Amino acid sequence: MSRPAVHARPGLVRSLLRLFTVQGSWNYERMQGVGIGVAEEPLLRDLRAEVGDDGVAYRAAVARGAHFFNAHPYLCGLAVGAAARAEHDGVPPEQVERLRTALCGPLGSLGDRLVWAGWLPLTSALALIGVALGLGLPAVLGFVVVYNIGHVALRWWALRAGWTYGARVAQALREPLLQRATALSGPAMALGVGAALPLVAQYLSGALFGWARLALAGVVAGGFALLWWQRRRLTGLRLGLALLAVAALAGWLWP
Amino acid sequence: MSLELQVWLLLWGTLVGLDLVSVPQMMIARPLVAGPIAGAILGDVGTGLQLGVLFELFQYDILPMGATRYPEYGPATVAAVSAAHAAAGTLGLGLGAVVGLITGMAGGLSLHALRQLNTRAVRRAAAALEGGDARRLERLHAASIVRDAGRAAVVTALGLVLAQVARAYLAGALPPHGVALLNVAAVGAALAAGTAGTLRLVGRGPGLRWFAAGVAGGAIVAWLR
Repeated sequence: MSRPAVHARPGLVRSLLRLFTVQGSWNYERMQGVGIGVAEEPLLRDLRAEVGDDGVAYRAAVARGAHFFNAHPYLCGLAVGAAARAEHDGVPPEQVERLRTALCGPLGSLGDRLVWAGWLPLTSALALIGVALGLGLPAVLGFVVVYNIGHVALRWWALRAGWTYGARVAQALREPLLQRATALSGPAMALGVGAALPLVAQYLSGALFGWARLALAGVVAGGFALLWWQRRRLTGLRLGLALLAVAALAGWLWP
Repeated sequence: MSLELQVWLLLWGTLVGLDLVSVPQMMIARPLVAGPIAGAILGDVGTGLQLGVLFELFQYDILPMGATRYPEYGPATVAAVSAAHAAAGTLGLGLGAVVGLITGMAGGLSLHALRQLNTRAVRRAAAALEGGDARRLERLHAASIVRDAGRAAVVTALGLVLAQVARAYLAGALPPHGVALLNVAAVGAALAAGTAGTLRLVGRGPGLRWFAAGVAGGAIVAWLR
């Protein structure tokens, strides 16, 4: 079977734009699969030009692209690029499927550590510190800009790395910069959020005086203890609703 | 509050709700962003910032992994700011927290319902998807995003109605002590949730030492101010 020449970046930008919607059709059956298929499709269009196959290779690749997939949304591009490159390289279909399946766990775990438990809480904590110190709206806008520089850079890197490495994509995950960023993001997040908490407590309790400040200390300590020991059953939302209900009732009964 | 302002809040809440999962995940769905912008729409950035910070702490209790179910605090914060705006300075935080937490819970339930609807749509299109029909694939995806926009609009509208009701019936019903208690409960729950959520992420390893160093540093800065 003849394969078309692989261009340097066939539809990479279009694919990147579609990756911003990758979770738009998230569902319990294929999870991100449909979104991954949509993002991968521009990279597969060259396959339509295959001589004498009437688009069979293209349609088969599109169908595979939309199968079950679930990983961190910012790193999905790695799977999209790698799978599309593997399709162009003539890798057997079952191997492409195995590649996608094998990437779910590592990309999910890496993204969760790097972004959800690192970059996002770190930048959010810095913005909280800024607001607590009186910077106001610029601190919030700074968060949006700085966070998204990292966000867009990660998405673009992932897609390009996937397309570059193809079936050997595991090599991309061993890049020193990525390893260092993952190792640093946890401690940086812990330090940042730790510093933000006392400042935010001061900022939010500014309007409380006397007994109310003492009561606040008690509520924070008791609430934290409950959330820690009952972590399987109690969430912040439930604790908040319960405390507000008790406070409303007590306030109404208070003479 | 004028109808025009309510429409702007509804539009902002819909964008915020869409950002959480569907598109583009640039974190305008974070309460810290959703709140101040809602405040700016109402000409009350201060209230927006306060409620944004409050709900950002609740957000720290959530790790949005895979198929986990969690409350949606973006549109909830928009509704909370709307509720607190009229009562700023007195009942602001407490009233906003009541409206926001209920709206957040409704948002979480709506996300689960949306995912079930998407699952049904995917099952209906299974034959076309297995046949590699790219147009059908794109239509299915686009329809799901439109469905999410509708969901976000409904959740925001529900929150805004709740805010109106709360302003009308709760704002004048509590004595000053009750107002202070409500504020204490809101701030206390948010700080407890933010601390517990962060410590779950940090774990017992070396990160805990960094967290302790951060708390010490933050406390010193707070004390010096």
